Amino acid sequence: MPTGFFSLILHAHLPFVRHPEYPEFLEEDWLFEAITEVYLPLIFILQSLNESGVKPRLAMNVSPPLCEMLSDELLQTRYTRHLENLLELADKEVDRTQNEAMEFHDVAKMYAVGLRASLGLWNDRYNRDLVAAFRDLQDKGAIEIITCGATHGFLPLIATQEARRAQVNVAVANYKKHFGRQPRGIWLPECAYEPGVEALLKDAGIEYFISDTHAILYGDPRPRYGVHAPVFCPNGVAVFARDVETSQQVWSAEIGYPGNDVYREFYRDVGWDLPIEYLKPHLHEDGNRRHLGLKYHRITGRNVPQQNKAPYIPALAREKAAENASHFIGERIKQAHTLRATFEGHPPLVVSPYDAELFGHWWYEGPQFIDFFFRKLHYDQSDIAAITPGDFLDSGIPIQRQQPTASSWGENGYYKVWINELNSWMYPYQHDAERKMTDLANRFSAEASKRDLLETEVRLLKQLARELLLAESSDWAFQIYQGTTVEYSSRRFQSHIHRFDLLVKMVESGEVDHELLAEIERRDNIFAEIDFSVYSKL
Amino acid sequence: MSKDSKEKKSLALKADYIEFVPADELSSSSELITSAVEPVEAVAVRTLAPATKLEDMPPAFRELAEPKLPELAHENRARLQMQSPNRLFFYWSVGANPFHKLNLALGAKTASYSLVLKLVDVRHDLEEIYPIDAEGSWWFDVEADGEYRAEIGFYAPNRPYVRALFSNTVATPRKSPSPRVDTEADWSISADRFARVLEVAGFTEDAFDVALAGDDIDAAEMATHAAFTQLVDEPDFDFEGIAADEIRNVLLLLASGVSLESLRGKISPLLFAILQKRAESLSAEKAFAVLKDQFDIEADEIVEEEFGPGVFGVSSINFPRRLKTRRTLPKLQPVSSLRSSSPVAGGRFSNR
Repeated sequence: MPTGFFSLILHAHLPFVRHPEYPEFLEEDWLFEAITEVYLPLIFILQSLNESGVKPRLAMNVSPPLCEMLSDELLQTRYTRHLENLLELADKEVDRTQNEAMEFHDVAKMYAVGLRASLGLWNDRYNRDLVAAFRDLQDKGAIEIITCGATHGFLPLIATQEARRAQVNVAVANYKKHFGRQPRGIWLPECAYEPGVEALLKDAGIEYFISDTHAILYGDPRPRYGVHAPVFCPNGVAVFARDVETSQQVWSAEIGYPGNDVYREFYRDVGWDLPIEYLKPHLHEDGNRRHLGLKYHRITGRNVPQQNKAPYIPALAREKAAENASHFIGERIKQAHTLRATFEGHPPLVVSPYDAELFGHWWYEGPQFIDFFFRKLHYDQSDIAAITPGDFLDSGIPIQRQQPTASSWGENGYYKVWINELNSWMYPYQHDAERKMTDLANRFSAEASKRDLLETEVRLLKQLARELLLAESSDWAFQIYQGTTVEYSSRRFQSHIHRFDLLVKMVESGEVDHELLAEIERRDNIFAEIDFSVYSKL
Repeated sequence: MSKDSKEKKSLALKADYIEFVPADELSSSSELITSAVEPVEAVAVRTLAPATKLEDMPPAFRELAEPKLPELAHENRARLQMQSPNRLFFYWSVGANPFHKLNLALGAKTASYSLVLKLVDVRHDLEEIYPIDAEGSWWFDVEADGEYRAEIGFYAPNRPYVRALFSNTVATPRKSPSPRVDTEADWSISADRFARVLEVAGFTEDAFDVALAGDDIDAAEMATHAAFTQLVDEPDFDFEGIAADEIRNVLLLLASGVSLESLRGKISPLLFAILQKRAESLSAEKAFAVLKDQFDIEADEIVEEEFGPGVFGVSSINFPRRLKTRRTLPKLQPVSSLRSSSPVAGGRFSNR
């Protein structure tokens, strides 16, 4: 047996952003950037690792909204256009830098080569279907894919049990649609937990969830092995909690690896540096500057102003990623020995969850780090074994029973980020819609036992459920609090509540505006498989 | 994007604001794809040009173009939500004329009544009352490890309180380790070992506290109370409603140099109010001295380290506060067992 176990957990999630009503839409770029910088490289690396006999055995949440967007034909088509356009710019940049800015020529070539490879992967190898690529990784035993809340709804801030249950059950149904099996684990949105949530998970057949550190450390009774072993809730659902040391080492803005001077600078982008006329064919129709993803500078130093950043040197950054991976493994070995001694021989488990988008988007060299990490872990040592939470449960290692405590992984450890003076106005509307949804689900479930529901009635009820789920996305409250895309997030929340209200009026009056219903269905087409009765009274 | 594709796009945008964009407009160009690609069917979508005027849109688009929140029905609504162990959010709405029912019940004797919001501390049977309007929202400072319910009702001095509606009950979590040790031998753990478990988990502040408290919870509570009465120099305190670990936690933080003001909203509101009244007489040195006096601390100084929540990306993550001693760790046991006969004063806090 190794000295200790290590479980890397990647949380891949983006809110459902899809605007067929516009020919292009700025916020759809969130998905497109993540595909290019995160999902394509990660899938490719994980496949390569697996093909070379290095099973990465990490757990990955691919959230239901992300699965739905990755499977959406319109977004796939738009992404292809986006990637082609970016490659066109990168090719232009190879020529320009050769003539005008040799210091950036190597980086420009790196982008052209990388983007051409990405386009090949996207079109040829994955046939534009990344969900299938993730599924294949799981089916081959390389990774374990877990689910999330249906729309990343913050469960403790959802008022009714029925609406909480819908977040879980719709997610499970969607997982089965995309991955062809029952999920073993769930990433609770924002790791937000309050006692009682585990009952919904158990009913949905989920074996474990991921929580923040203090869910277990402050749980009752005292956890014998602290956060470095899972616990069972009283009902038998297991909890795996976040290790603080690895969070800080990789993620902290103060001391984390991504802040190294040689790594790529995120905020310096050709979209802001090059002449607007030159960029115009690569911008949106509004002609506004934006991040385009071609970034030519390295961090250089923590306090170095943007205009004084030095050119990015890919080989140096790659070397640093390898060095950081070695350091990370060294620290894990030390940590495992310390923990094992503290636990009097019991093998510790370090659970290390991150936003997947850290690796590649925010930390450009992150996928390389993961690649080096798993290769070195496989070839260079035997103290640490990579394991998924499911693997751990299968190992037969005894697990303590405990009642975890309410918590989230957000600032200060509770719910402040998602309910505060800036966004608390949202909850009366959300909760009102939850109650109405259950009233309607009860009413029409009862009707359905007496007669076949009309097709329009079913369409209305399904769309009501979609609008409520979309309004509940924790992303809107989060972004309003963070001060990023406040206008868009507020508008999205208002849109879904507004659409919900329009649909309720149609149901209640019996006067259906078919054109409006069709338009709402066309825009918010998430969860084609949804069953409105999931909202019926428990 | 191919030249043709660009031209089609340009034409589409010059035309009227709404149209079915030709399917091939949104299909990809294959000129940059070096290898053969299976064609993927493009999607026909109805789109709006960016600058479409509202009045020119068809009705369905117009309805959706300017989303507005519906007016919530004026009905009975009372929801209490936890923000943190020390803070709750409450919103309410009272349907119809709330005084109508009151008049029916009490007749002419309702003139002195006003509509109030009441927060009930269920476990300690304490209440706070505030005059309010028929709908609104409120933030409450509360105690961790408590249970609360909010009510809307009618209040008049020297008259019976009349409840109109009440909220769900919220349990605030403990924000420190449980004092309870597992009864099964395999999972049982002593205080000093658990302190070490917390320390290796990065929760050094809690490790420090668990080590100070030791295994004898009652003795630790007495020592904590004694330390606190020394700090505020008032021997007549009633500690009911304030957990000993919360007091120790605050003493440790003050001793490490954390300002009282920075603890606002993060500690027991009752404890904060008590300390605030005595703010001028508080100091890190005094807090450290009373801890040293009551607990067997062999350090010269306690230092706090705090990681900011900032991480790479747009997130912020919870990192625990850490306490370090300058010279050596405490001996991990309270001296309170030697002082178990120390009198702990009774009485009530003046502001309760």
